[in-house]
Amino acid sequence: MKRGLSLQAALAAYRADSEPAPPPELIDPDALLTAYHPDYLRDGIATLAVGPNTDAHCPRELADLLQAEAYIDEVDLAGVEVTDTDVLVIGGGGAGCAAALAAAERGARVLLATKMRLGDSNTVMAEGGIQAAIEPDDSVQQHLQDTLRAGHHAGDPALVAALVGDGPEVIRWLIRQGMQFDQTASGDLHTRRAGGISAPRIVHCRDYTGLEMMRVLREAVTQHRGIEVWSQAPAVELLSNESGRKCVGAVLGSLDGQKLRIVRARSVILATGGIGRLHLHGFPTSNHLGATGDGLVLAYRMGAKLCDLDSFQYHPTGLVNPPYLSGKLVTEGVRAAGALLLNAEGRRFIDELQPRDVVSAAIIRECREGRGIHPETGGVGVWLDTARLERGQPGLIEQQFPKLLARSRIAGIDPRRDPVLVYPTLHYQNGGAVIDVDGATTVAGLYAAGEVAGGIHGHNRIMGNALLEIISFGRRAGFAAALAEHDRGPKKVTLEHVNQARRALTLAGLPLTRRAPQMLPAYTAPGKDIWKA
Amino acid sequence: MESLNANLLHPRQRVGESMPRWREADGGEALRLAAQDPAAVLATVQDADLRGLGGSGFPVWRKWQAVASEAPRPDKYLVCNGNEDEPGTFKDRLLLEETPHQVIEGALLAALATGINRIVFYINPDLPRSLAALKAALAQWQGSDMLEQASAVLGRPLTMTLVPGSGHYIGGEETAAMEWIEGKFPFPRGKPPYPAQFGIHGCPTLINNIETLANIPAIVRHGADWFRNLGIGHATGSKLYSLSGDVLHPGVYELPMGTTLHDLIFTHGGGLLSGKPLKAVFTGGPSNTLLTPADLDVGLDFESLRERGANLGTGAMIVVSEGTGIVKRVAEYMRFFAHSSCGQCVSCKTGTATLSRLIERIDTGRGTADDLVTIESLCRMLPGSGRCHLVNGVAQLVDSSFRHFRHEYQQALK
Repeated sequence: MKRGLSLQAALAAYRADSEPAPPPELIDPDALLTAYHPDYLRDGIATLAVGPNTDAHCPRELADLLQAEAYIDEVDLAGVEVTDTDVLVIGGGGAGCAAALAAAERGARVLLATKMRLGDSNTVMAEGGIQAAIEPDDSVQQHLQDTLRAGHHAGDPALVAALVGDGPEVIRWLIRQGMQFDQTASGDLHTRRAGGISAPRIVHCRDYTGLEMMRVLREAVTQHRGIEVWSQAPAVELLSNESGRKCVGAVLGSLDGQKLRIVRARSVILATGGIGRLHLHGFPTSNHLGATGDGLVLAYRMGAKLCDLDSFQYHPTGLVNPPYLSGKLVTEGVRAAGALLLNAEGRRFIDELQPRDVVSAAIIRECREGRGIHPETGGVGVWLDTARLERGQPGLIEQQFPKLLARSRIAGIDPRRDPVLVYPTLHYQNGGAVIDVDGATTVAGLYAAGEVAGGIHGHNRIMGNALLEIISFGRRAGFAAALAEHDRGPKKVTLEHVNQARRALTLAGLPLTRRAPQMLPAYTAPGKDIWKA
Repeated sequence: MESLNANLLHPRQRVGESMPRWREADGGEALRLAAQDPAAVLATVQDADLRGLGGSGFPVWRKWQAVASEAPRPDKYLVCNGNEDEPGTFKDRLLLEETPHQVIEGALLAALATGINRIVFYINPDLPRSLAALKAALAQWQGSDMLEQASAVLGRPLTMTLVPGSGHYIGGEETAAMEWIEGKFPFPRGKPPYPAQFGIHGCPTLINNIETLANIPAIVRHGADWFRNLGIGHATGSKLYSLSGDVLHPGVYELPMGTTLHDLIFTHGGGLLSGKPLKAVFTGGPSNTLLTPADLDVGLDFESLRERGANLGTGAMIVVSEGTGIVKRVAEYMRFFAHSSCGQCVSCKTGTATLSRLIERIDTGRGTADDLVTIESLCRMLPGSGRCHLVNGVAQLVDSSFRHFRHEYQQALK
């Protein structure tokens, strides 16, 4: 990487009142992506040797976990307390809560187990908003096309159709749960534009839409008598029937003690979120501490097919400075409101409202070619010109982006006066477990919803579709799981799938020393098995 | 490896339901030989020392002789028992799928040797592929020259029918099978009278396991000495071992009768998963005595295992490594047996249910020391209290797991 300007030099050269020329026209976005997007990095990509996605490529950090040995063996389950329920939901974020509420609505007994606390999730990190085609000049057809196009037509059209079709009803449902949205002066829902979409479609609550959503979901789940919540109960392993091909429950650990618990369930819904904390290719992440890909690991070991494992979203505008806030998000809403991206030379280099993957690739290009800005504390980035936005529309930042303002205050920056240094941050896993429109994975009895599921966003997700997905598909999975049929005969609860995975690993010559799911990032609890002391 | 799949599962035999391909592999030859001298078949089988491979180990010729000496009233029946349903056993389904004609020829030979005119294939209804293969194979026999010739030798028409079983585990018990074939619920009958005297509709009835019957054609073709030499030491013939559990390569292995447990697990099964030490082996369908690492040298035949107080049973070997808990496994099998008890004997109905409940309680961390005492006394009281062997096998399973792994039960207590 060529070195650009130091932070001081760049700040000194910055003029909030200059009029930067429009960016050069982007002629070949694919070439830009191939040359600069992290998904196209050759190094650090591994080929899977076992499991349903054998021969597929994915980042080495993920492959290591997908091809790891389970933490527990059958012998560890002797004398372990057993709890029976109809539907077990693993994950306490937005998708998990939506699924639990839907299943309980259908009369199922629901147990929701979450690794940390209810609401410790990426849902609360979502700032920008949620997409739904509710404006008069918009349509679900346009929403469908935008989603498929931004995903480079790799998404499953049936899933996308289900998603966008649910949009308006999802907003209505959220309002009924008590969620607040920003409104226009006349009291209609206020909508924003976003990168890669053809009409204003983002419904939002300031710049903490996900936090507000989680607030009402948490309340609804906690108050529902049909839902029991177990906090600090990470899933250590799934349970299978004697053939190893049907999911019949899970083994839960605890963050604070040695205890394992067995939960037998008619259906299991994985809502475990993404993998940001694996720090693929060494990138910082916008994700919460628990985003370690546990659901992918558990599903894969049980034989569920995954998709698009080589495709991740790097959000263009993660903070660079100070280091302890590195990777934290500055919402795309800031760019949607008109903020520009400027390189060290004070020039625009990309249309700020291109899809996220394109903007990220452009920022990486600027930095790699010596037009980046380097703070003394390390890292590199480009300007997100919030100061010019404030000059154009005084008071806008305080009114619409209070989270940005609060976070900048901690960092000792005033975004109304100075531009903010940003660099792409690992944000979202585009792929995941293959599901159908009911959220059912390829393994009987196992469902997936939210970021852990794949097939919707293709190779790139547009803003606002993640919040829509967790509610839409969370509810779909919840309904389907609650209505799943009972098996006849004595119930067998085994780790046969672990045996089968072990057999495959041995035959492929892979070591059985590495263990997964990871549950917490390596730097959080070094050398400690968190499920037993 | 020459000794692997030398007879029943020889690649030449595994031609599926195609009769022409089976004929190319000497199929029908044994029937032609037997037609010349049907009485010699029984003598050859006796010489060969063929045993009942469904689990009893009872000499086949003695059952045959008992039926042969009875007069038809007006019929005589052969039941080919393919109800195979116990955990860990999956050999008969393979024979039916891959070599159905070998089984059918064996059944016809048994019929000719004992004067039987009605053959019933009694098959587990939950094995759709086996049922389909056998059905397709039987269709090719109807009206064939071979069947007509066999009828001519017998002096009356031979019929072959396919009866899917009830789906109940207990339906594999021989008298229960007869009840089902008569159209009733498969309750085991009291014995005596034995099926040879009073079987289906009161007719003399012979019941043999699928694997037992599949062995007859090769014995007739190659002679008793050849068959005896297939086995190791005093054991005769070959055996289909169903290997499962914590081994690298689970599956069905046809090996010389008397192959050691060590050879089966390590030479053929690829050793234990993830290199963990061996803890125990549930043999023969799990209603038997456990084998432990001290028994690795034992030859897997009826006599050698009996000397160790164990049983070959169906030849199922469920291998358990140090990574697997005995209590959980026993609890799982107990659930199966409690669910499978037909309920007509009170001691079995309540005994298996109580044992299952107690062991499940221990396995889920709610058991007390009193439960162990109760289990022990049940294991003493229950054996011999039922019409059939189900409750005996259950007591044996629990008792032997107690003898060898009492510490695991104790660790799991509340």
